[in-house]
Amino acid sequence: MTSVAHAKPEAHDAHHAPMSFWQKYIFSTDHKIIGIQFLFVSLFFLLVGGLLAMQIRWQLGFPGKPMPGGGILPESMVSGGVILPEYYIQLVTMHGTFMVFFAIMPLLVGVYANFLIPLKVGAHDMAFPRINMWSFWLALLAGLIMLAGFFVPDGAPRAGWTMYAPLSARPDLSGATYSQQLWSVSIVVLGLSSVMGSVNYITTIINHRAPGMHFFRMPLSVWALFITAILAVLALPVLQGAAIMLLFDQTIGTHFFDPVAGGQALLWQHLFWFFGHPEVYILILPAMGMVSDIIANGSRKPIFGYHSMVFAIIGIAFLGWIVWGHHMFMSGMNPTLGSTFMVSTLLIAVPSAVKVFNWLGTMWRGNLHLHVPMLNAIGFVSMFTIGGLSGIFMAATPVDIPIHDTQFIVAHIHYVLFGGSLFALFAAIPFWYPKMFGRMMDERIGKIHFWLTFITYNLTFFPMHIIGMGGQMRRIYDPTIYDFLKPQQPINEFISYSAFALFAVQFLFMFNFLWSLKKGKVAPQNPWNDNGLEWSLPNPAPHGNWAPKTPNVYRGPYEFSAPEAGDADFLPQTKKLPTDRDPVPATLPGGH
Amino acid sequence: MQSTAITDTMRPPFPAEPGAGVYSNKLGMWVFLASDVMFFTALIGSYIVLRFGMPSAWAAPGAVLNVPLTGINTFLLICSSVSMVKAYAAIADGKKYFLRKVPGKTLQDGGLKFWLLITIICGAGFVGVQVFEYIKLVGHGFTPTGYREGSVLAEHALADPVKYGAGVAGMYGSTFFTMTGFHGFHVTCGVISMLYLYFTKVLPEKYSAQDYRGIEVIGLYWHFVDLVWIILFTIVYLI
Amino acid sequence: MTTPTQTTHVRPNYMLIWLYLFVMTVIEIAAAFLSHIPKHWLILILLFFAIWKALLVAMYFMHLKFERWRLRLIFIVPLPLAIILVTTVIMEKIF
Repeated sequence: MTSVAHAKPEAHDAHHAPMSFWQKYIFSTDHKIIGIQFLFVSLFFLLVGGLLAMQIRWQLGFPGKPMPGGGILPESMVSGGVILPEYYIQLVTMHGTFMVFFAIMPLLVGVYANFLIPLKVGAHDMAFPRINMWSFWLALLAGLIMLAGFFVPDGAPRAGWTMYAPLSARPDLSGATYSQQLWSVSIVVLGLSSVMGSVNYITTIINHRAPGMHFFRMPLSVWALFITAILAVLALPVLQGAAIMLLFDQTIGTHFFDPVAGGQALLWQHLFWFFGHPEVYILILPAMGMVSDIIANGSRKPIFGYHSMVFAIIGIAFLGWIVWGHHMFMSGMNPTLGSTFMVSTLLIAVPSAVKVFNWLGTMWRGNLHLHVPMLNAIGFVSMFTIGGLSGIFMAATPVDIPIHDTQFIVAHIHYVLFGGSLFALFAAIPFWYPKMFGRMMDERIGKIHFWLTFITYNLTFFPMHIIGMGGQMRRIYDPTIYDFLKPQQPINEFISYSAFALFAVQFLFMFNFLWSLKKGKVAPQNPWNDNGLEWSLPNPAPHGNWAPKTPNVYRGPYEFSAPEAGDADFLPQTKKLPTDRDPVPATLPGGH
Repeated sequence: MQSTAITDTMRPPFPAEPGAGVYSNKLGMWVFLASDVMFFTALIGSYIVLRFGMPSAWAAPGAVLNVPLTGINTFLLICSSVSMVKAYAAIADGKKYFLRKVPGKTLQDGGLKFWLLITIICGAGFVGVQVFEYIKLVGHGFTPTGYREGSVLAEHALADPVKYGAGVAGMYGSTFFTMTGFHGFHVTCGVISMLYLYFTKVLPEKYSAQDYRGIEVIGLYWHFVDLVWIILFTIVYLI
Repeated sequence: MTTPTQTTHVRPNYMLIWLYLFVMTVIEIAAAFLSHIPKHWLILILLFFAIWKALLVAMYFMHLKFERWRLRLIFIVPLPLAIILVTTVIMEKIF
């Protein structure tokens, strides 16, 4: 039985006049609808990124061979079916750009920060619902501007997703004019969207927690999203500033990054990575948070070391500001600085390791329910660990010297971003699907998808460590032009075949996702027997959540297998036991 | 001045756990201002770094830029900041009016409508003077890409590179216009927002001592913009 | 006189703060043109005044002096990050 506090009727809850289709589903200010909008758009961009990757793998596996279906692309990109070098570098650049900025970041933050935060802290909606709506539309606009880069004269940007200047600032060097400018514009717009969203997330978490929801009773998914929002609000503006300076270099002829005219090429790298490193923590922390919730649920045990998990998230975020130089060990920067960055980077492995051990500790001797979200969450832990271990190699500057800009780095990136973030999404999407759509995704297809993905994914990316160590560089068009790389070419072919299989397997997920929207099993209110506040609402959750009431919170989020629960092996946060007292909401000043 | 009753709209949301202790709009604006600090960090930080790297590209203070005029402009912005806080204090006391006679005082007492109008005028004045300064500078040859060929400043620079900046003076112009330009953009957005609030909420007297959140929030933004200018004026014009 | 924060306080004398700001600005401009001051000292003096003025605006006009620490923290947090970025990149040039 949940009991609720009395709330003053708030102005925005009273507007229950019937809303048109446009107000309800398109220009919605409801955080749940906005989260779902982000979900559909981001999954589309994930597909775009995947298609770009397939072309990259074709070229790397079978350099110079005509690509099946290459005929539909224009002659400027593909000549007689063979991918041209100018097009290949566009593929590499845009694959990274779309995946980082328009797939993973919006999937983790745009979808789950929006969808989960108000539900999990007991609020009716975000603090600023209209700004939230703008945040989505600006993100979509930014994505479309970026996509337009393929269709303008000269084609898409081609300086790598990291857009190093002066290559990116000089169309005469890179070959791309308009699209490079569109990149800058898109980034500025996306930055606005991110900052608006983050302001919402931070304000909602600080000010709109339901009575009884102390900070240390928030689920780790909310903690992670909170810290992520703080990272985003402070890091994105730096990228916006850099992108604006790049745009000026490209258009009006300034020379911020051009050493010939007094600018500094390294300035771009410093600005970009000062943003870029917190960005990669933005890409992993929400994943870690959601995985914590799911592992506790799947183990029917409280998360092991809840407080240390929180401090680990804070520690990772804090240290994340002072490690950015590890992306620049080979840039020619001051070697003393390099040593400082090496130390801080090695340190950051510690809180990450704490988290891995705590996930293991949670599962140890747990009553494991290996449902699809749990399988993917465990996959996350193992794959992220591998990615983290390869990270330690790179953190050590002397080791980074030979492996920088090789496929070893590419392997690391994909182990943490795919093996990490994407597996976490494969866990989170089915887990919260019932809350979003009122139906369950199919469990059997989900399990087949997990196993096939896990196998093909490892077959794709693990060998990249090997060919990277063997000297294959990043972003290279044709490895076989080097004699010392020719012996590794069979591995490249193998990776490509595995990648094609990996991509094909994802259609299972796509089918499962889309088909279950209409044909999935109708979900019970709490299909996972979870403790979070969101499960105290019907599926799908109604507009306004608990409005006009506000739930009371009596305990932390991980009371699984608690003795007080009686026969059940879970004890929801909002369930009032006879021994519980109602939480007292924050008093007004002057006391009353 | 009488005390104001603190009402629900200007308190933190209820019922809720203790949070920042202020209503959400104010918290949101503070978080946004923190992000704006980082944006200006990128621009101003780049300026500092570029100047450290090639100090000869910069002119001596006052050689190119009009310091006295900008000093007056700075004063104008500071005045607008004061009038903003007076507007905030006025509405906190419930003074929705323009001007009112106070017995025993020579000067009339200004209400929200008066002080906010002063703020808007001073803010718009600041933008106007900036635009005027830009036009003059470009006319003399100072552009974002350096001294224009054949302009007055280009000739001066050839004659006295220490005073006017040596060789490729592009850096000076690039950083100047970018930093002050984006600051000016922020000021313009502030003026437009205040105008919007003035016509839609201040003139129809929709703000009261019970609810003046919009004034406080736009006030915070405005003071921030003034604060950034205080830093900018010093490091761009005086150093 | 109360304001919508948790603390009650005496309203600061805004006109006095305005006077301080005006006087400091005049001193700054004058100092910048006193060319016999060595450059390094001049920069320090100007930065000192700039920061002092900024603090006055932040503490009194933006009411930070009377707000809780939690709110002040929001504004304080970006500052060390800004300093880290600028000093690190400058150290680059020293090398």
